[in-house]
Amino acid sequence: MTKESVVDLERITKRYAGHVAVEGLSLSVPRGVVFGLLGPNGAGKTTTIRMTMNIIVPDEGSVRLFGDALGGRHHSARIGYLPEERGLYKKMRVRDMLIFLAEAKGVKRSVGAQQADHWLKRLDLADWSQRKIEELSKGMQQKVQFIATMLHSPELLILDEPFSGLDPINAQALKDVIVELARGGATVIFSTHQMDVAEKICDRVCIIARGHKVLDGGLADVKREHGGTHVAVAFEDGGDAAAAVIGDRSLVAKADDYGPYAELALADGADPQALLQRLVESGVRLRRFERVEPSLHRIFLDKVGADHEQQEREATHASA
Amino acid sequence: MHLLKVWAVVRREFIERVRTKWFIISTVLGPVFLIGIMVLPAVLATQGSGPRTIAVVDQGSGGLAERVATQLSTGNKFIVSLVKVNDRTPNAALDSLTSAVQAKRLDGFLLLKPTTLETGKFEYLGRNVASIRDMQMLEIALRQIVVVERLTRRGIDPALVEEAQGRIEVETKRITKRGATGETGEATFFLAYFVGFVLYMMIFLYAVNVMRSVIEEKQTRIIEVLVSSMKPFELMLGKVIGVGGVGLFQSAIWGVSALGLLAYGSALFGMIGISPEQAAAVKFPVIGLWFVLVTLGYFLFGYIIYSALFAVVGASVNTEAEAQQAQMPVTMLLVAAIILMPAILQEPGGKLGVTMGMIPFFSPIIMPIRYAASEIPPAEIALSFGVLVLSTFLTVWIAARIYRVGILMYGKRPSLREMIRWARET
Repeated sequence: MTKESVVDLERITKRYAGHVAVEGLSLSVPRGVVFGLLGPNGAGKTTTIRMTMNIIVPDEGSVRLFGDALGGRHHSARIGYLPEERGLYKKMRVRDMLIFLAEAKGVKRSVGAQQADHWLKRLDLADWSQRKIEELSKGMQQKVQFIATMLHSPELLILDEPFSGLDPINAQALKDVIVELARGGATVIFSTHQMDVAEKICDRVCIIARGHKVLDGGLADVKREHGGTHVAVAFEDGGDAAAAVIGDRSLVAKADDYGPYAELALADGADPQALLQRLVESGVRLRRFERVEPSLHRIFLDKVGADHEQQEREATHASA
Repeated sequence: MHLLKVWAVVRREFIERVRTKWFIISTVLGPVFLIGIMVLPAVLATQGSGPRTIAVVDQGSGGLAERVATQLSTGNKFIVSLVKVNDRTPNAALDSLTSAVQAKRLDGFLLLKPTTLETGKFEYLGRNVASIRDMQMLEIALRQIVVVERLTRRGIDPALVEEAQGRIEVETKRITKRGATGETGEATFFLAYFVGFVLYMMIFLYAVNVMRSVIEEKQTRIIEVLVSSMKPFELMLGKVIGVGGVGLFQSAIWGVSALGLLAYGSALFGMIGISPEQAAAVKFPVIGLWFVLVTLGYFLFGYIIYSALFAVVGASVNTEAEAQQAQMPVTMLLVAAIILMPAILQEPGGKLGVTMGMIPFFSPIIMPIRYAASEIPPAEIALSFGVLVLSTFLTVWIAARIYRVGILMYGKRPSLREMIRWARET
């Protein structure tokens, strides 16, 4: 635990009747970083976030925000929270809704009103401010939801699956806002299973699976530590001719093959030069051949897959 | 407790409700309904209903039938025809009378047999036998005739009998600690009934509103944003106060309208074409300050205790449709108080009234009714109110604990046992 950390989770555990949602999870999120909480569905991301927000209480362990244990509600004026399940009062007018949600966080009414107007204008919703929520399109409702999350200029943003269900234009708008707030010094924690987005905007990541932490650290460190030799290849045609080479386990240990594009993890001791030669010999037309760092997607598959296999082994072991 | 957050919820619940059409309609129609039930009975009573057409069937009563027919014809309540039935074919005559009733040419017919005078047993067949008023009129008329008949047979002067039967009248005036009030028994009864009914309506409507609001927040999933900002208890409290505020606001509008009605009542009646005599038949009960305070106090705590229960119902369901079923046990409690009302009004100070007045789920309706109908010792009110207030705090405390867990639960409805477990969890 450092003085600079905004969120500190210490060995938190949450059990529900019949299963463990999160077990012994410890995390520390330093001030000013964009932190990705990654994991497959059902890994415990939402439960972790809800415990961080003080919506549910951990069975064991402790949560500290801004260096104290007073809880998310106490600090609600400093936090912007976007839950996985979104919703607004359908019959309420847009502007009243935003002001109410700001007030509910402990923001003064006048400040809330001023900020609501500012954000409605910025996201092109000024003309809709006196309409009822139910009259808005789904995309507009999503924007109103972001505004509700951001309008009080929070120091800490906690976003649960912020990009799921967004159309590309709103996704872009949200990403821009997140980056802008992060540049302005805000700490951002978001959960996702979309690795490409996480790879682009995260400083730090934590991968959890089945309620356990699998990996945690700065993105660059995570990539470096993952090790292995990784090659990205792209073909001008469909890459059919390369299939036999990619399938050769003495050369390629793992392949994330999309057809015209593939990310390859080389087998231990295999030489990238040998791979290039084999590909050229196969007659496939190469558009790209590049030694790369492993993608977050690759790391995720490796780590979560390994965890998955281990769990299954343990389960088999236990039942034997 | 963060009071500004609670206040934000109070303000939202209040303003969003007062802005709706539902509020405007119920506020306007409330007094219309209220005036309707106060004025209509009076108007109907003065105008009365038309005379009943009946047949008196003589099956060999030996002159009694004629006298009965004559007696019933005096006054304007009955139009009487006399039918003599041949002893040999009584059924044919009765059948044709029955079809006359069915065809609505006749309201009913009275059978007089040779034994009727001795046994005092009359038989009346008619469409209107469920009408208490009609049957009472018939019975009073018959009793008079039979008494005259019997006494005359024993040789008593018919004039003397008639004098003895002279009409008597009991005028009721309520006595309270401050002396005779000039209030009539009818007005007291009416006030008590009216207050009980209004309390029932208000508590039910507004407590159900709290439930709806809880369900809306669950269904739209906005609940998660709310409970990340404030404690579930703060949210529930704000909701109960905000919705209750709408109830008080509406009552205040009605109260002012009622005062206006009292002040300008006769002028208003004139405007809608009701004569001063008819207007005078409308009994305005005397309402004291203490009565208003007692009623308001019971309304407030009754509303709070029931809205806490309805909030639990709302938190335990996923949709309004599910709530219809889940609210039954709570609704039954409230309905029970209304069902008991007539029995308690029979004897406001009786065992039933005193017992029910001590039970917190009934006292909010029972006590104001009893207070309106009779004098209740202050100590009894204090005890009943104390029990209600304590129970309200306890109920709200337990309800808040169930609510806190329920609002974040979706899917299968929790059993009572699960809800008890939620309440016990820390």
